[in-house]
Amino acid sequence: MEKNLYHNRLLQWLVYVVFFAALAVIPLVMDDAFLLNQLATYGVYGMLALSISLCWGFGGILNLGQGIAFGLGAYGMAMTMQMQTQDPEYSPIPPFMLNNGLDALPAIWEPFWNTGFGIALALIVPTVFYLIFGGLMFQARVAGPFFAIMTLAILSALATLFVDLQPYTNGVNGISPPAALDIGGFVIDPYMSTSYWVVFALLVLSTVAAKLLTQSRFGLIVQALHNDSERVRFLGYNVAIYETLVYAASGLIAAIAGCCFAFLTQYVSPAQFDVGFSISMVIWAAIGGRNSLLWAIIGAFLVQGAQSYVGDEFLNSWILILGFSFILIVRFLPGGLGGLAETLLGMVSRKRETQESLTVGAGEPETRGA
Amino acid sequence: MVGVLEIKDLHKSFDATKVINGFSLAVTEMTLQCLVGPNGAGKTTTIDLISGRQKPTSGEITFREENITGLSEHEIARRGIGRKFQVPAVFRELTVRQNLEVAYNRETSAVRNMFSFKPDGCAKRLEEIAADVGLTERLGIKAGTLSHGETQWLEIGMVLMQDPAMLLLDEPVAGMTEHEMDKTVEILNRLKKTNTIIVVEHDMGFVRRIADVVTVMHMGSLLAQGSIADIEKDERVREVYLGTEDDEESVH
Repeated sequence: MEKNLYHNRLLQWLVYVVFFAALAVIPLVMDDAFLLNQLATYGVYGMLALSISLCWGFGGILNLGQGIAFGLGAYGMAMTMQMQTQDPEYSPIPPFMLNNGLDALPAIWEPFWNTGFGIALALIVPTVFYLIFGGLMFQARVAGPFFAIMTLAILSALATLFVDLQPYTNGVNGISPPAALDIGGFVIDPYMSTSYWVVFALLVLSTVAAKLLTQSRFGLIVQALHNDSERVRFLGYNVAIYETLVYAASGLIAAIAGCCFAFLTQYVSPAQFDVGFSISMVIWAAIGGRNSLLWAIIGAFLVQGAQSYVGDEFLNSWILILGFSFILIVRFLPGGLGGLAETLLGMVSRKRETQESLTVGAGEPETRGA
Repeated sequence: MVGVLEIKDLHKSFDATKVINGFSLAVTEMTLQCLVGPNGAGKTTTIDLISGRQKPTSGEITFREENITGLSEHEIARRGIGRKFQVPAVFRELTVRQNLEVAYNRETSAVRNMFSFKPDGCAKRLEEIAADVGLTERLGIKAGTLSHGETQWLEIGMVLMQDPAMLLLDEPVAGMTEHEMDKTVEILNRLKKTNTIIVVEHDMGFVRRIADVVTVMHMGSLLAQGSIADIEKDERVREVYLGTEDDEESVH
């Protein structure tokens, strides 16, 4: 019987603890504000790769439009931050609206006067959007490449919409709130370790929640429908609801990432809805290993890290290097780096097992592999 | 007599082809009813129509005095109809244990299942059924690595985990060895004491060993129904079906 250490649940949690402990040490030993801000941004990319891994690797739903939730979340947060710097009496509307000929705050901006309400909207709007869109698609049994193309179409439509609604969104220039996010006196300065800690905590929280989701009965059924969704229906499960919920859960994580991105960069623009950016999220997850939440995060760190430090050397040819590595991974390592680790650990575990059975004999096979 | 499952004047056409043509059937509780007939008689389509995979063109299907015509697959499954496919459909990437766990469908709500890890009673039932279908030793391995016969048993086990009021088994012994078939006969004869079962089958030798009632279909309608002895005497049945069956057997 095969006992691969890679599949040992206890060991998996242990690796998560070590990984996040390592991330927690960084701000204690490093006080370069610029670098810390950059690393926090990587945390945002990690969340996005995590959300892709949950949706695609785990749920089997290829999603090329994760920028939908990311962008909506980022805009919601940027609008909240913008309104924090406005005053109901003296400057009730953001300057860019005046330049675009508006003389009153549009109704859609009104809820963002309240910070808590604004942040809630930044998370709820994309999640509800995913629930409705996913519900419609999965109920009609749209799947595979057709669903992926639909997400792309919606993403492009949103990008165009946000450019076109210039008076409300400041078009291609985007929104750049002049001050850091302030939650009831707690200021998240993007160039202080606070922002790193907030992103870190949210990354840990979403990873643990996603991991628990995969280990629940819901997770087991999603795994089954990833194998053969037709068969799951005949067991009495409403497949469309399961698919919609796993898609929406991944959307919620991407929306959280969007919020973090907005307070880290104090800037949001239609570039967040860029098709290329959403596709690179899929590439991070594929290179790291889409079947593993943790490896997908590592994939985002590696690719974005390489882009910042190696990519500068190659400039325009970076996208070629990225594309080429993607092809290599898809061809030779379909499970990504995580899949490689799985294979290697499987070989080690088997070797260990053979050695033990040689010394202990064939008895008590159940005590091994703990 | 009122059956647990009643089919009245069922019709199903694919474009111009009439596959089911005015088929009616009543299934009594705690019996094992075999659905036999030559290729293209509409046996599997009948199972598809009962389980909701296909929607009938016209006609009515009643289960436990409730009209289930046109309900979707999961709604019919929740009413207690479990089905096994002709080509065994198991989750190949999951372990045998996980396959059985998925089939334990006491709770089907997605939201409640998010907060559930070990459902009550699942482990105990799983051990019993694994022993019933002879897979206790294989629980830890991936279903994709099982032999063909074992895959068939796993799927029967999955149907049992659902604790259904009625089992629809589409060719449960297809591709099995003589020994594996003996074991399946034993399993089915045990199950029919407590379950209502419909088995679609080609192999008359197998039918003889399990059936309480045999229903013969031909060209999408009912040709004959009765005990296996009655059916084997029936001239029309011999003509359309058993004749060719005998030819096949003489080749073996």
